[in-house]
Amino acid sequence: MDAFNNLGLGFSVAFEPMNLLFVFVGVVIGTAIGVLPGLGPTATIALLLPITYTMDATSAVIMLAGIYYGSMYGGTITSVLLRIPGEAASVVTTFDGYQMTKQGRAGPALGISAIGSFIGGTVAIIGLTFLAPLLAQVAVAVGPASYVAIMVLGLFLVTSLGTGSTMKSLCMAAIGLLLSTVGQDPITGTARFTFGIPSLLGGFDFVAIAMGLFGVGQLLHSLERTEKAQAITTKIKNIWPSRKDFRDSSGAIARGSLLGFVIGVLPGGGGVISSLASYALEKRRAKDPSRFGKGAIEGVAGPETANNASSTSAFIPLLILGIPSNVVLAMLYGALLLQGITPGPSLIEDRPDIFWGVIASMYIGNVMLVILNIPLIGIFIQMLRVRTGILATFALMVVMVGVYSINNNPFDMWVVLIFGVFGWIMIKTGFDPGPLVLAFILGPILERSFRQSMLISDGSFGIFVTDPISATIFGVLAVFLTYSFISRRRRAKAAAAPARAGADAQ
Amino acid sequence: MSDDTLEATQVAEPGPVRATGPHTGRYRLVPVVLLVTGIAAVIGSWRLGLGELTNPGPGLWPLVVSIAVTITAAILTVIPDTEAYEKWTRRTTLLAGGVLSLVVFILLFTAIGFVVPAFLLLLLWLRVFGEESWRLALTLAVGGTAVFYVGFAVLLGVPFPDDIVVGTITRLIGM
Repeated sequence: MDAFNNLGLGFSVAFEPMNLLFVFVGVVIGTAIGVLPGLGPTATIALLLPITYTMDATSAVIMLAGIYYGSMYGGTITSVLLRIPGEAASVVTTFDGYQMTKQGRAGPALGISAIGSFIGGTVAIIGLTFLAPLLAQVAVAVGPASYVAIMVLGLFLVTSLGTGSTMKSLCMAAIGLLLSTVGQDPITGTARFTFGIPSLLGGFDFVAIAMGLFGVGQLLHSLERTEKAQAITTKIKNIWPSRKDFRDSSGAIARGSLLGFVIGVLPGGGGVISSLASYALEKRRAKDPSRFGKGAIEGVAGPETANNASSTSAFIPLLILGIPSNVVLAMLYGALLLQGITPGPSLIEDRPDIFWGVIASMYIGNVMLVILNIPLIGIFIQMLRVRTGILATFALMVVMVGVYSINNNPFDMWVVLIFGVFGWIMIKTGFDPGPLVLAFILGPILERSFRQSMLISDGSFGIFVTDPISATIFGVLAVFLTYSFISRRRRAKAAAAPARAGADAQ
Repeated sequence: MSDDTLEATQVAEPGPVRATGPHTGRYRLVPVVLLVTGIAAVIGSWRLGLGELTNPGPGLWPLVVSIAVTITAAILTVIPDTEAYEKWTRRTTLLAGGVLSLVVFILLFTAIGFVVPAFLLLLLWLRVFGEESWRLALTLAVGGTAVFYVGFAVLLGVPFPDDIVVGTITRLIGM
């Protein structure tokens, strides 16, 4: 079997002492930031990007991937104990997880989350191992028109299914695309929107924008909140779930693994959507749906399994098509670009050490995470005592020094500061910086694919209809748009009717 | 572009229902800034030269994108989305100080190196924004500066601008 040979190569890379260390560092940091509210995986990876620049490419990606899936485990802890989601995908876990804590069942809630996460993660890695090479063969034949369609779909899903207002997110995505046009035109070399500033000829540095919007913006915002760290009063006991708990949640875990895997592969998929979908599915299937929201263990097990499965399978579009499907993966994409590696269909052939090394490291990382999250969970809970002020101050210094170290140019420090202020304004005014950063990364790929499509088709937009993949995607999008348009009108009418009735009564 | 216009009519529909109330002005500030940016970008792209669809000029793609910015920002200006707005508190004004401290940090960093500005920035943030005691703030600021200097300048070999403190110390040892 080819897959086993490849995996053998992967494990030989992943078991190198340095790489083992970096998986461990990655998953520990991931769990830790999952626990610390306010510092999500996106901000952390943004903070660490300049440091990974000095590392070996494989080790860098292994560590960053560990942070990503590690944060999915860690985010659960505060959701269950304090009803504070450590990262967005864990919001759903607060519904039933916190109720279980109130009933004195915090232990089993955390235990089943860790076990579900492990199973979901591992199922997805196995899927990734066997499907990825097949998909890579197909992906080579994917034309530029399909690329355009896939990216448009990804951006659309991220903006419409994400948190907050769709119109605001669409606007931010457009701004991200606009920012990515700053610098030299990729074909003619003409300077675009550089305003005569030589440092802008190469375009904005992705790291500086990401660190500004997520790092500095988030930090400035965290300083506004004065609340001190909440004390954990719950005693955690019986972390290993009982036989009944296992029986109750086994179906949810199985369905969550599958659902998560499928959603993660879609552009725009990943954590949040899959955990919401799994929760909805479990609630619908339950004999007694009223138990949900009152401490149903399936409501914790399913979503936690699904978010780990999807965050793992989301590596498929990244590594095979070179399209990051969510913001955290856009960060990883940026990290690979910093290393001079462009992810895409040829990655698996050109750099099998990276491709299989990262996949193999995920098997190891998931085992480490179960150990960290079941017997050693107490240590992470202690971290909740670190005060926000101290954390923010040091993170800020990491940002400032880190961004300088990429190009050894103080100009990038100014970019970070300016985008930090933008990021803070965006948080205050309800604009999500996620779509902006994702669009900024996709911008150049999108422009290139668009121009190539136009060259192939002799300037005709017909290519988006004649290309089967693109036609399917745009077709589905059109149906989806029409559907949401109709349902919105219906809702508006329904809302208007009682209002009118009320007015008539007066 | 037809997609964008479709979007526009679609969302404009429930407009009059939502954009009521006397205090919608402040919600329009950011969309108006974005709208102006979008229009400026449309003009800028036009000037870059559009070329043709078969042979796109440097301005064609930016034009597509800036039209998207303009349309979405225009919709947000007409129907401001009041969701997720956060209140401005007294601590918000404190933040102006935080930003200013970073401006000073970058200027000093370029002029006199890492050590002094880093120490001052850490101390200020820990004491004023973190509200830690003087003792803890001083300890962490000194320790933090040392850790960052050793980590970045010594271990990672990042070339910081000439440092007056480290420079003086090496000169003294050298003598």
